[in-house]
Amino acid sequence: MARATTESKMPLSPTTGEPMSTIARRSIGALWAFIVMDVSGTLALIISYSYLWALNVNDAWAPPGAKLDAAQTDETLPKASDVTFAPEWPFWAIFAGVVVATIFMWFAYKRLVAGHKGEAIAAATFSLLLSGALLVAQVVQIISFEFKTSQGAYASAVYALTASNVVHLTLVCFLLIGIVNRTHMGLINPVVAYQARMMSIWMTWISIAFLLGAVCTTLMLESPNTDPAVFGTFNVS
Amino acid sequence: MTIAPPRTTRRSSTTSRTSSRTGSADAARANRGGAGLKQDGGGRGGSGAVARVFGNPVPQPPQHGKPGGLLRHLNLGTALLLGSVMALGFGYLANRLTKSGATDATFAPLAPEYIYLAGLFGWTLGFSIGIGAFDGPVRWLLGRELTHADAEYLAGKNLGWQRYFKYTTDHKVVGIQYLVAAMVTLGFGGLLAMLIRTELGVTWAEVFTPSIYNSIIGTHGIAMIIAMIVIVMGPVGNFIVPMMIGARDMAFPRLNALSLWLFVIALVCLISSLFVGGVQDGWSVYQPLAAQSPPGMLGYQMTIIIFAISTGVASVNLIVTILLMRAKGMTWVRTPIFVYGVFGAAIMGLYAFPFYQYSQLLAMSDRILDTSFFVPLQGGSVWLYENLFWLLGHPEVYVILLPSTAIMLELMPVFYRKPLFSFNFAIAGIVGVVALSGLVWAHHMYMTGWAPSANYPFMLSTELISIPVGFLVLVAIGTMWRGTVWTRLPVMAIYALVFNKIIGGITGIYLSDVPVDQYMHGSMFVVAHFHYMLMGAGLFGAMGGIAYFFPKMTGRMLDERAGSIGLWTAFAGFQLTFGSMFVAGLQGQPRRVLQFDDLFNISNWLSTIGAFVIGLGMLIFMGAIISSWIAGKKAPANPWGSKSLEWQTPTPVPLENFEVLPVVTSRPYDYGVPDPYDAKMLADEKAREKQTAKVAV
Repeated sequence: MARATTESKMPLSPTTGEPMSTIARRSIGALWAFIVMDVSGTLALIISYSYLWALNVNDAWAPPGAKLDAAQTDETLPKASDVTFAPEWPFWAIFAGVVVATIFMWFAYKRLVAGHKGEAIAAATFSLLLSGALLVAQVVQIISFEFKTSQGAYASAVYALTASNVVHLTLVCFLLIGIVNRTHMGLINPVVAYQARMMSIWMTWISIAFLLGAVCTTLMLESPNTDPAVFGTFNVS
Repeated sequence: MTIAPPRTTRRSSTTSRTSSRTGSADAARANRGGAGLKQDGGGRGGSGAVARVFGNPVPQPPQHGKPGGLLRHLNLGTALLLGSVMALGFGYLANRLTKSGATDATFAPLAPEYIYLAGLFGWTLGFSIGIGAFDGPVRWLLGRELTHADAEYLAGKNLGWQRYFKYTTDHKVVGIQYLVAAMVTLGFGGLLAMLIRTELGVTWAEVFTPSIYNSIIGTHGIAMIIAMIVIVMGPVGNFIVPMMIGARDMAFPRLNALSLWLFVIALVCLISSLFVGGVQDGWSVYQPLAAQSPPGMLGYQMTIIIFAISTGVASVNLIVTILLMRAKGMTWVRTPIFVYGVFGAAIMGLYAFPFYQYSQLLAMSDRILDTSFFVPLQGGSVWLYENLFWLLGHPEVYVILLPSTAIMLELMPVFYRKPLFSFNFAIAGIVGVVALSGLVWAHHMYMTGWAPSANYPFMLSTELISIPVGFLVLVAIGTMWRGTVWTRLPVMAIYALVFNKIIGGITGIYLSDVPVDQYMHGSMFVVAHFHYMLMGAGLFGAMGGIAYFFPKMTGRMLDERAGSIGLWTAFAGFQLTFGSMFVAGLQGQPRRVLQFDDLFNISNWLSTIGAFVIGLGMLIFMGAIISSWIAGKKAPANPWGSKSLEWQTPTPVPLENFEVLPVVTSRPYDYGVPDPYDAKMLADEKAREKQTAKVAV
């Protein structure tokens, strides 16, 4: 009886006539399926990074300047290359920013469900602005990498992971604009709040993706394979 | 499947009864501009208009312009136009921006690569805009909700034949669109197959140059793989599954349309690759060879990147639809086996396709951006490519096999008029295949030297997967046993499927053994094996499914005489082609080569003759489909006397499928099992019980 009473207050979908709670269940189900897809894709990148890091094929994992070389450490000789691993702090800073943005989105959802539309919009807007700033920061980080794409497998893998971050953040920004606008218009409201919930869940996954990337790019730098097989070297004698 | 009389005149759930009583109250609240939001002072911005949706009054959002909005003006024509214009425009821009004389690391000119890739991007973006794929996201962003009138327009109501050339959301329309697109892809791949067999049959001369032959091989492979993935999941999965589970449509109709049109975009990318050097490295396009191939490789990569999105979106849609939209009373035990097959295939597609997609993204990045994922000299690894590729590559074959096998199991109770031999074993087979499919991929890599110590665990897992596959064959054979067979065209396809699957399965076990694979790897034996599985089981199963569901999908009966002649002609040709190919492989003929020793001539002549017989058979079958579709005998609603829900709808199927959503009370395969609701049966049963009680006393 209580359930029927709750569902009797639930608006109906204008297209199918079903209760919005039914639409919400389906949409959240679909979101989890999309997250599974994205997990696979992210794992493909993480596997690529880890695999190449572990193999260190042709001793070409690290950027040229990162390899320990007597010539590199001898101050009297010109450095073979200054190009080394990317600084670690930006990865963690961006990850931290994503976490904060996610927390604000959850806060926005909770306040909306509690009936405080103004606070919900404010929190979601902050999350949007922060995500936008993080997107810019991520692009700046990519532009400022010292290494080129052709300078080792590490460089390639880092570019791929950070490019994935850019795609994720772009999608997050697009969705947050929609969330803020629709909340403002009343389309997302305390009774029909599932889209805000979906956004919060999605951003939680994005935070995990950023974490995985940050772990790889900061804790997995020097390859453990210090005596790699060398392929394709031709000696002309 | 017994359908109990629904409890309401319109909806069968208590929820709906409650909703319909309060529907007018909701509408009144909406008219006052709020729906439980008084404390915020906001509302859903309702227009005050109310529409009757399946008998219930439902408040509507504001209607912006005519129903359908911008989509009224968009169709396949606008998509082709905008796609072509943007392809040319992007290509022109790329040409202007590329430095003259720029080359890549292998000294190949970069301009053709950039121009072609830019053209592909332009085509993809332009076609998507032109067909209306972005209408949904933009509407959502701007808060312009769809009204019921919009939804009906999008579903193609009153649009006649034009709905097949638009971004139509009705699952039945999408199913037909998929059928046509899949048949076009099959025809394209089949034509290439004829060219391959021509080259291999003409053993005294070279018909094509090696590079053209290689590109025919590679394009044929990927075209057929794509066609086979789509041929059952697309037409039958889309058209039939919602009706089979008692739903009005898929969970996300607009995503359904998106998956179809992305498939069309991908198909054009693939065909275009033939004109810029083709795909010369087989369908698996191993690195680093693929990195050195002509620009056509970019077409392949773009095809896969887009097709993976299409398949992923379709998988999400199918999974949510099957999980959450089954009719009341349709417990898992009462769910048709075809739904299980499609569900299993969708799950595999969901987790596995991103690996394939990313393998191509990274390969494209190596080509265009000079990264080194797969370039050993710069720290990359070709084994990484192979692992990423085969992580999908093997589940993919089960994405092809499961739906066609499940169709076979779906048909058999209908035409043998007895329950499925063991529904539980069939489920176990499907679950086993899905579970193990992700654990066998490296049996494609025994000879790569990747991880020799891993060869034997993968050998074990590969041999283990033959068990659940075997369950499915055994259930089929058990269902035939002591059944009263009604021999119609779909049943003939079952025989063909079972025969081919047994041969393909057994030869797969040979190949799963590392020592045998050491000899057989890269030979025509492997080619014959996977053709027996993917074509012999996959395609013949699909033909059976199409023959079975043809009356419901088209409203016409398929010409059985012509269809049977086509099927058996193709079957005979198939045995000749691939039986001879086994012999060639055992003799030692390698695959993907156009010049070979005279030792293999006889096998190749026989295979080529067989291939042309297949071509003839398929043309006859295709002709039967087309002629029956145009002028075949009108089909009754349930020509096969099936108990499943999709056959309880009228033909042609109305837009909403069911006027009243059904309630399911029994299994779908209880042919010959007394109907528990049959009044006479109940009375007889009571009388028997009384008699038994008297005797006991």
